[in-house]
Amino acid sequence: MHRAARTALHDGAGVVRQCLKCRVPLQLSARAYGIVPTPRDSEEKEMLDQMLRVDHAGEYGANRIYAGQMAVLGRSSIGPLIQEMWDQEKKHLEKFNEILAENRVRPTALLPIWNIAGFVLGASSALLGKEGAMACTVAVEESISEHYNSQIRALMEADPERYTELLQVIKEFRDDEMEHHDAGLENDAESVPGYWLLKNAIQLGCKAAIYISQRV
Amino acid sequence: MAALLRGLRAGRALRGLSRVVGAPAAATPQSGGPTRGFHRAALRLQDESKSDKPSSSSSSSHHEHYHSGQDPAEAPTSDREASRPNTSYQDQAGEQDEEYETEEQLQARVLAAALELVPLHGWSTEAIAAAAETLGLSSASTGMFSNGAGDLVLHFVAQCNSQLTDILAEQHNQVQLGQAEPKRTADFLRAAVETRLRMHIPYMESWPQAMSILLLPHNIPDSLKHLSNLVDDMWYYAGDRSTDMNWYTKRAALTGIYNTTELVMLQDSSPDFQETWDFLNNRIQDVVNMAATAKQAQATGETVVQGLLGAAVTLKNLTGLNQRR
Repeated sequence: MHRAARTALHDGAGVVRQCLKCRVPLQLSARAYGIVPTPRDSEEKEMLDQMLRVDHAGEYGANRIYAGQMAVLGRSSIGPLIQEMWDQEKKHLEKFNEILAENRVRPTALLPIWNIAGFVLGASSALLGKEGAMACTVAVEESISEHYNSQIRALMEADPERYTELLQVIKEFRDDEMEHHDAGLENDAESVPGYWLLKNAIQLGCKAAIYISQRV
Repeated sequence: MAALLRGLRAGRALRGLSRVVGAPAAATPQSGGPTRGFHRAALRLQDESKSDKPSSSSSSSHHEHYHSGQDPAEAPTSDREASRPNTSYQDQAGEQDEEYETEEQLQARVLAAALELVPLHGWSTEAIAAAAETLGLSSASTGMFSNGAGDLVLHFVAQCNSQLTDILAEQHNQVQLGQAEPKRTADFLRAAVETRLRMHIPYMESWPQAMSILLLPHNIPDSLKHLSNLVDDMWYYAGDRSTDMNWYTKRAALTGIYNTTELVMLQDSSPDFQETWDFLNNRIQDVVNMAATAKQAQATGETVVQGLLGAAVTLKNLTGLNQRR
């Protein structure tokens, strides 16, 4: 009965949003219930809460980074690409908002900080030019992909069948982030002066942000 | 059929045991030596008052040793041993299975009885000791509660919170089924806080003592946890699904309302605490007004920003800076 209800909702949802350059229609965004299984004990709840909290914070931060980049480079030739990547991040954030609300997960208290920090990072990297913005994108997307991968590993180790749908969502998002990473590399990210320094500094910041957001 | 029933009982006992074993940090450390010893003593007292086996007193000591190490293993073996006419301690365990309750259940029973004696003894270990005696246990069973009166108060708070959650969930179901109208947020919160505070009325005289116990440093983490869960539940059932800073501001506001109303209730002597409910109403109205004002301020702010941006763009156009790179 549960399955029948789900498929009915699938078809009835109707809104199959196709990203212009995406290969996969984003049907999953039609429903949020049933993605995260009900936790069996407080340990599992703790683990899932931390994961979802940090993922939500990550997408929120990425959103703000692209907003910062658009504010500076919106009217340049790289504008449309950044806008497209930003739109995908917006969809990710929406999805996590639904999941958090559904599962009564507390959002991180540092959201206002990530708001400002993300915007500042995006804007300042864009001030270095198009290559700077792309380098920032490459660094951030690489951090996020690594983070998603470690979450996928943790869930697979715990119980791949129980977390099938959640794994599907995280894998889909990780693939999107890898696409952004590759797009950044294609657009001369590596030719910014001080690329190595910039990339590592940003990745260190991302790691710190992930660590804190899991706990606070 | 009998085997099925035994299996069910064994399953229940196992689940109960696993709850004890996996109890969250909020529960007092239950596996400490002395407290276990008291538990055994309490059980033995129960045993001796109800036992009909002559060998019980001698084999109960074996039973004890067997118990302390191997509780989880006891239930399944009782299943298998049941059919064999055995005089070993394992058979005792099988007999014991039907009356065995977990330490948690025993504590709950004692605390529930203690609550009834609170008007007489206050929130104290005397109440717990007196309650233990009414249940036929030794008054030394208070040793099970390493936090004494704190355990009693926290138990009561947890009980009230779960009662409230049940009521709110029931109302939520009614609304989902279309049997009731959804309330506006302010009315919902008012009703929820009033319902929860009314649970204190039977203990109103001694409630200041209970509150001061909750404020003791070693009880603060637990009482804060209960409070935050309570407020989170209230907002969830009021329909809050926010995932940004509103999550925090709403809960902070409701915590403030709840705490101040609780304090007002302590010194309210009007019939049926009418003054308290009026106070509550006014505080909720304040928050609603503040939220409306904040929204208005934000809308105004946005309009102002739009205006400024428009002016900036006009200036850029006039000075010729606005060209596509």
